[in-house]
Amino acid sequence: MSNRMTIPIGPQHPLLKEPLSFMITVEGERVVDSTLRLGYVHRGIERLCQTKTYVQNLHLFERVCGICSHVHTTTYCQGVEALLGLEVPPRGLHLRTLLCELERVHSHLLWLGVLGENIGFQTIFMYAWRDREIALDIMEELSGGRVTHSCNVIGGVRIDVGDAQFSSIVSQLNDLEQRVEKLLDVIQHERTLRVRTQGIGYLSPEKIRNYCVVGPVARASGVDVDLRRDCKYAAYGWLHVNVALAHEGDVWARTMVRAREAIESLRLCRQLLVGLPEGPTQVRAPRRVPPGEVVSRAEAPRGELLYYIRSDGSDKPARVKIRTPTLTSLITVHDQLEGVETADVSVVLSGIDLCIACADR
Amino acid sequence: MNLPRILELLQEVLPVARLEVQTMPIDEHSITLPPDNLHAAVRALLERSHVYHLSTITGQDVDGQIELLYHFWEGGGLTLRTSLPREQTSVETITDLIPGASFYEREIAEMLQVTFVGHPNLQRLLLPDDWTGGPPLRYEFTLPDDREEGE
Amino acid sequence: MTDLLDALTKLLLFPGFAFLFACAMLFAWIDRRVIARLQGRVGPPWFQPLADWIKLMAKEDILPTGTNGWVCAALPVLSLAAVLTASIYIPVGGWIAQAFEGDLIVVLFLLSLPPLAYFLGGWATGGVYSVIGGNRSLLQYFSYEVPFLMALCSPAILAGSWSIAEIAARQSETIWGVLVQPLGFILALVGLIGKLKRVPFDIPKAKSEIVAGPLTEFSGRKLALWHLSIEVKTVVGIFLLVNAFLGGSGVSGLLPAPITFAIKSLLVLLILSVASVLYARLRIDQLANLGWRVLAPLALLQITVTVWIGVA
Repeated sequence: MSNRMTIPIGPQHPLLKEPLSFMITVEGERVVDSTLRLGYVHRGIERLCQTKTYVQNLHLFERVCGICSHVHTTTYCQGVEALLGLEVPPRGLHLRTLLCELERVHSHLLWLGVLGENIGFQTIFMYAWRDREIALDIMEELSGGRVTHSCNVIGGVRIDVGDAQFSSIVSQLNDLEQRVEKLLDVIQHERTLRVRTQGIGYLSPEKIRNYCVVGPVARASGVDVDLRRDCKYAAYGWLHVNVALAHEGDVWARTMVRAREAIESLRLCRQLLVGLPEGPTQVRAPRRVPPGEVVSRAEAPRGELLYYIRSDGSDKPARVKIRTPTLTSLITVHDQLEGVETADVSVVLSGIDLCIACADR
Repeated sequence: MNLPRILELLQEVLPVARLEVQTMPIDEHSITLPPDNLHAAVRALLERSHVYHLSTITGQDVDGQIELLYHFWEGGGLTLRTSLPREQTSVETITDLIPGASFYEREIAEMLQVTFVGHPNLQRLLLPDDWTGGPPLRYEFTLPDDREEGE
Repeated sequence: MTDLLDALTKLLLFPGFAFLFACAMLFAWIDRRVIARLQGRVGPPWFQPLADWIKLMAKEDILPTGTNGWVCAALPVLSLAAVLTASIYIPVGGWIAQAFEGDLIVVLFLLSLPPLAYFLGGWATGGVYSVIGGNRSLLQYFSYEVPFLMALCSPAILAGSWSIAEIAARQSETIWGVLVQPLGFILALVGLIGKLKRVPFDIPKAKSEIVAGPLTEFSGRKLALWHLSIEVKTVVGIFLLVNAFLGGSGVSGLLPAPITFAIKSLLVLLILSVASVLYARLRIDQLANLGWRVLAPLALLQITVTVWIGVA
C-alpha cells in the first residue's frame, strides 16, 4: 500500500495570509511532489487600468499589494514622469525614497513575525510586530495612512515634513533602530530558530540565475544584485547603499539578509531626513501623456519590481505590465520542497516571503 | 551593459540584414526581431554575453498584431521585441534556456492566446479554471461594465 | 449513608470535579497571562478560559460524514474521565481522596490514556491533517513517555514506596526530591511539556503545518471537552510533580499546607509558561532524537544513581 498522502496547503490555511493553493504529496514525513495554483486573488488590474486615467490608476496600483504599496506607485510614477519628461524636485525624491525605505523596514519586520509564527516561535512574532508599529506610526505621521499612504503623485509627492515632524520622526527612528538591533541579536543567538531554519530550502546560485530570482532570496545565495545601488532611481543617486549578502542560500541566510537590510534601511532613512534639500515637492503634470514606452524598475522589499507602460497619446494608458518579485520566488518552491520534511514546508514557504496579492495582481 | 558588443553578437547569430534598435526610458534599449529568430537570439545572449537575467515577458495587442517583449537586465535594460500575426500566434518557448520564463509564458498564453511551442506545462496560471470569456488582454475583450445591453 | 455522601463530595466537589474545573480555569488563565506579559502584551482577563469554554459548549457540533458519531463523542469523555480519575490518588494541600500502595503506577497508566484517545480521535475523524497529527502524537508519545516514567520512578525508589501520598510525606519530612534528584525533576518537567503538547513540543497540533492536528474536525461540545481534559491534565500533571519532587503539601512551619501547595504548583506552572515563550517548535524527528539520545539515557542514569545511593 502506498504511503502517499496529499496535503492541501490552501486556499485557506493558517500558514497562508493570502489564498494560494499548494498540493503537497508526502510519503511518511517527506515531501515527494508539489503543485502550485495561483489566481485566487487575481483582480485583472492590468486590464482594468486601461480604462482609467493615469491619475485614477495611481489609486489602483497602490492596491496591488498592501505591504509594498508605496513602491508600486513609485515605479509607476517614475515611468509616467519619464514619458512626460518631468523632473521631480530633489525634495520630492528624498521624501519618496524615505517612504520606500520605511516600507522596507515594515515589510521585513512583518516577515520576521510571520516566520516566527510559522515555526511556532510566537514570541518573535509578538516582538517584531510590536516594533513594526513604530514604523507604521512614522508613516502615519508622514502621510496620514499606516498601510496605504497615497503619497506619490505624478510629478512628485503630495506630502511635506515640517520641523516638529522632523524631530519626532528622528527620535522614533532611533528607538526603532535600537529595537531592531536587539531583535537581530536574539535571532542570531537563538538555537531553536537556527535548528529549524538552517539547511532548509537551499537554492544554489545557478538555480537563482536559471529561475531569474530577485531580491533577498537571490542575495542570500550570493548573487549580488540590488537595484538601489545598480539603477540609482529616485534619491538613491545621493545615497550609498550597503547591500546585505550571504552565501549559505538557505532560510537562515534569508533571515539574516532581511534583518541586516532592515537595519541598513533605518540608517538610510536617517540620512535622507538629515540631508533633506529645500524646495518644492512636486511639479505639475499634464493630463495627456505623449505616445511612447517606458520600462521602470525599482527595488521592492521582495526584489525587482518592473512596470512597462505604453502610452498612445490619450489620458489613459494603452498597456501597463507589472512584474512583481514574488512570482520569481514562487517558481523555485517546487525545487525547494523536494525531499524536505513535512514540518519544514512551513519554513520554506515562509522563507520566500510570499505576497500573493502581488503575484496575482 | 555593453550595447555595441551585444549588437555585434546578435548580428553574427541572426540572418537579419540590420537590427532595429530603439532607446526607451529609463535606460532601456529595444531590439526588434522576427519571431523565428528569437530563440537563437536568447541563446546567443545567454551563452556569449553577460546577460542572463530575464525580468519578464510582456505581451500586448498593438497595431493589429500581438507583440512580445522580452525584458532583460544587466546593468541596463535590454528588450527583445517581436511581433506575431493575430491569426497565427505561436512562438518557440525559451524555457529550455531560461526555466524562470515558464510562469511569464503561461500568463501570456492565457491572456493573449499565444502558444509557446515546447512549453512543459501550459496550464492556466491566473485565470479561473472555468473561465470562458476569451483572452482578456486582446483588443476584442470588453470588461462587463463597458458592454452594451444585450451583449 | 455518610460514606456515600462523603464519597460524592470527594468526587464532585473537593478534590474532585468542581475543584479541578476551577483549578483548570485558573491555571489556564495564569498561563495565558504570563505568556502574554512576557511577549509584551496585556493578556486576557481572569474569566477568559471559562468564557471560552462556555462559548464552545454552546457552539454547533458537526462531524464529517462517514465518521462514527459514538466513537467521536466517547473519546473526549474518555480523556477527561481518565485525568479526573487520576486526580483521586494525588494529594492536594494535605487532603486526599484515596491512597494505596502502588497508586503511582495507576496514575501514570491513567495519564497515558489521553494521548491514546487523542491519537484515536485523529484517526476516527479521518482527514489528512487529523491523520498526520495522530501519527505525530504517537511518535511524540514514544519519545517522551519513557524518560517521563523513569524520572517519576526515581522519587519512588528514594522513598521506598509506590504511593504518591507516601512519597510526598517522606519528602516533606526529610528533604525535597528536587534537591536530591535535580536531573529527575528536569526530565519530569520536559516529559510533562511533551505530555501537555506545549511549545516546544506542540508538534501534533502545529497550527501552521496541520491546522489543529487530530482535533481539526472536532467542534462544539466535543471540542470543549477535549480542551477541558487538556487543561485538567495540566493541573493533574503539575500536582503530580509537586508531590513527587517538591515535597507535596508538607508543612513548612511557616505557612499552612494548602498555601505551600498552591505556591509550589504555581511555581511549576510558571516554569512551564516561561518554557513556552523561550523556544520555537521542534520537528518530530528532532524530538525523537532528543527523547531517545538525550532524555532516556539521562533518565537511566538518574535511576542508576538513585539505586546505587539507596544500596550504599
